[in-house]
Amino acid sequence: MSSERRAGTDADAVLGAIPRWVYSPKTTEEAREVIEATAAETLSLGFIGGGTDVQLGAPMRQLDALLQTGGLSRVVEYAPADMIVTVEAGTTLAKLSETLQQHRQRLPLDPPALDRATVGGAIAANSFGPRRARFGSVRDLLIGISIVRADGTRARGGGKVVKNVAGFDIPKLMCGSLGTLGLIVTATFRLHPLPEMEKTVLVRSRTAAQVRGLVARLKAGQLEPTSLVALSAAAARFDVAVRFEGFGAGVTQQAARFAELQQREGEPCEQLGDVDAQAWWKKHDDARTKGAIRAKIAALPNALETFLPKLEAVREHLVDSILVWYASLGLGFICGASSDLAAASRALADARSALEKANGSLTLQAAPQAIREWIGEWGTPPPAFSVMHRLKERFDPQQRLNPGRFVGGL
Amino acid sequence: MRSEFVPVAHAVLTELASVVGPKNCISDPAGLRTYECDGLTSFRMVPGAVILPATTEEVVEAVRIARRANLPIVPRGSGTGLSGGALPVPGCVVIGLSRMRSILEIDLENAWMRVQPGVANLDISKRLASAGYYYAPDPSSQSVCSIGGNVAENSGGAHCLKYGFTVNHVLGARVVLGDGSVVDLGGPVLDTPGYDLIGVFVGSEGTLGIVTEVVVRILRKPEATRTFFATFPSTDEAGQTVSDIIAAGIVPAAVEMMDRLAIVAIKAATGLDWPDVGAALLMDVDGPVAEVEHTAAQASAIAARRGALEIRRPTDEAERLLMWKGRKSAFAAVGRISHNYIVQDGVIPRSEIANVLREIARLTTEAGLRVANVFHAGDGNLHPLILYDANVPGEEQRAEHLGGEILKLCVRSGGSITGEHGVGADKAPYMAEMFSEADLQAMAELRCAFDAENRFNPSKVFPTPRLCGDRPGKYVPSPLELSGEAGRG
Repeated sequence: MSSERRAGTDADAVLGAIPRWVYSPKTTEEAREVIEATAAETLSLGFIGGGTDVQLGAPMRQLDALLQTGGLSRVVEYAPADMIVTVEAGTTLAKLSETLQQHRQRLPLDPPALDRATVGGAIAANSFGPRRARFGSVRDLLIGISIVRADGTRARGGGKVVKNVAGFDIPKLMCGSLGTLGLIVTATFRLHPLPEMEKTVLVRSRTAAQVRGLVARLKAGQLEPTSLVALSAAAARFDVAVRFEGFGAGVTQQAARFAELQQREGEPCEQLGDVDAQAWWKKHDDARTKGAIRAKIAALPNALETFLPKLEAVREHLVDSILVWYASLGLGFICGASSDLAAASRALADARSALEKANGSLTLQAAPQAIREWIGEWGTPPPAFSVMHRLKERFDPQQRLNPGRFVGGL
Repeated sequence: MRSEFVPVAHAVLTELASVVGPKNCISDPAGLRTYECDGLTSFRMVPGAVILPATTEEVVEAVRIARRANLPIVPRGSGTGLSGGALPVPGCVVIGLSRMRSILEIDLENAWMRVQPGVANLDISKRLASAGYYYAPDPSSQSVCSIGGNVAENSGGAHCLKYGFTVNHVLGARVVLGDGSVVDLGGPVLDTPGYDLIGVFVGSEGTLGIVTEVVVRILRKPEATRTFFATFPSTDEAGQTVSDIIAAGIVPAAVEMMDRLAIVAIKAATGLDWPDVGAALLMDVDGPVAEVEHTAAQASAIAARRGALEIRRPTDEAERLLMWKGRKSAFAAVGRISHNYIVQDGVIPRSEIANVLREIARLTTEAGLRVANVFHAGDGNLHPLILYDANVPGEEQRAEHLGGEILKLCVRSGGSITGEHGVGADKAPYMAEMFSEADLQAMAELRCAFDAENRFNPSKVFPTPRLCGDRPGKYVPSPLELSGEAGRG
């Protein structure tokens, strides 16, 4: 086997487990060989891209070997006229963005730390950012995928045309699967044009009820923001950023119309200049990566008010906490450091239980060992867990790909 | 294609009738023949029995009865599918969901709605119209096709260029599996922890389970829509115009192309006063007023630069709808100028449109047939309508052969054998053109995880039958299994 291999060190630890071996394949074929060879010895195997979501999921039951995808960073095919791109999984989103900018195009997938986050990692972790409000999540952008299965066989799904219903949707199966079904080696995305203009309008210090009103107002006004984020650094108060993107005329009209609607409601807002806007979105990105505790919450978009007391109770036990709420999606993150792990655990468990009762969820994206042990990363397994369990068995019969990391111990 | 009728045993029919009521359990020859095909009428097979349940519980009971009798099950919506997805298999029980047509829940603020599978696609938007909301995917058959069928086929439509397909608009589903268990996949709240099961279920063509409730995403209507109809000397200029519009950073809501023969047929069927030209484009842009004024003007200028003969803009909504009616009636219109036709659904990269259309024309001449092209140009989803007369000996075979050649051409050009109609029975033989044995095996694993007994819609999608035996290699039971928390099966 030609892939580079070395002994693992402390720096390679994933959720506390130090792999015996670390592989850094330079080609997709080398990656395939690693998987085939480790299958022969039934070694447990983890995958890592840029490591931005390395804390996601439960610690693996065992980690014999770790495969780093950083060497798989080629742009395989870029067809600007067809607005599609195929890239290897270790390509960072920032590098991809550079390539696409040359033709004034983009992949509107904007999780924090674009310079480190890789394409494969973003798919496996279902990473997203503010633009999900308009462009959907990675599942809505991914149109084709090539994977290496647990036994070392390569398989493809989807294709390189946007519209395609031939065969089962293997690309969607891989979205959010956290490396438990196979290694993503290349991915094909549909692209969007870079907007001619973008403008961010900021509304300061709103209550949860006012955030809800603002979302309703945008919708009633038929405005189409590409991002809509409420950020709370102080208890129960949110700064709401609304970003419009597109052709100049449309963006200008929408920003002005939004300001007018806000004015009428007696809720002033300010249009940020380019520098301030950039700074605000950076603040958002920083908030998402901040602290040793990060919990993702999912609920119906209008339920923020209902759950806020529970979320605030969590924040009481965090230091420098931030609540990021994607107001039109019903998704959010609580991030911060903890002063009292036991109390934070209890509050998190309490919030989770309330969210789950309303068919929502609370999952730990990062947390100290103690909290993980007390409340678990994933919460109650979803209703269709039996199907997920069988999927894992079919795709990884040796139970060796990131074993135990996923929902319900898969 | 017609095979031997295989009846369902009397005792099983009695059991089924006791669940859904005798009126909704069809076993008489005349009644069964109504269900012998879907919209792809060249494939026919009389089912063993047809039942029309009214509730999830009735579906569960029916699935259990069929399982005990070891009968295959073919789910069916409105039967408008164009790939033989609802084509019965010998001796099967067809479970038709047309009686389950209630709208169960509407949540405008959170933008979702829960409906039964038999609800017609357009009825969702109609129900929401007064509130200013709608459901985006718009297959041409939307006034009759059911949302359950849309989920099975991952249906598209003209406006999926900007808005995406069924899979982008279905948030969740309640599904009856082959063992009669009921599971909820996804739901109105995003990002259910675990695998994206609703993502893989949509478009699985009735092979993974039967959907008995669907949670759809609904959208606020855009502020404005601008439409233009432009004519061109040939499909070359029309194709170039589409490419230039996209290259200018415009994402139209829809761009449809029709060639000369399609225009002739549409005119004859609808009486629209369209000119006799080589090609026409029908385009929508939608969004905030200032945005669409800008993009519509730019797109018109591009069309003019590319040699458009005429550019018409509808003066009012009625005229706009008439233009779209012309486009959406194209398949039926072609039916009036030809005894028979086959419609294909291949997809090509947008930049290949002109080349591929020329190659299709060459293949068509070679075959001594006529092809009308009417298609979703923005996303390269072709719909060549191959005209033939079944009464002329050999013509049907030539038409089928031409259809196959066109699909292979699409795959060679970097595209797909189907953009929205599904693989079904029709295109299963062509799956191997697009996917390797290993690719198909990965898909088969997915199938086996949902439906290990191959109960639902067997013989569809895959070119050769696949069994769900254990995979070769050492099997390691998961700790969950050892602890008894989860079993195999």
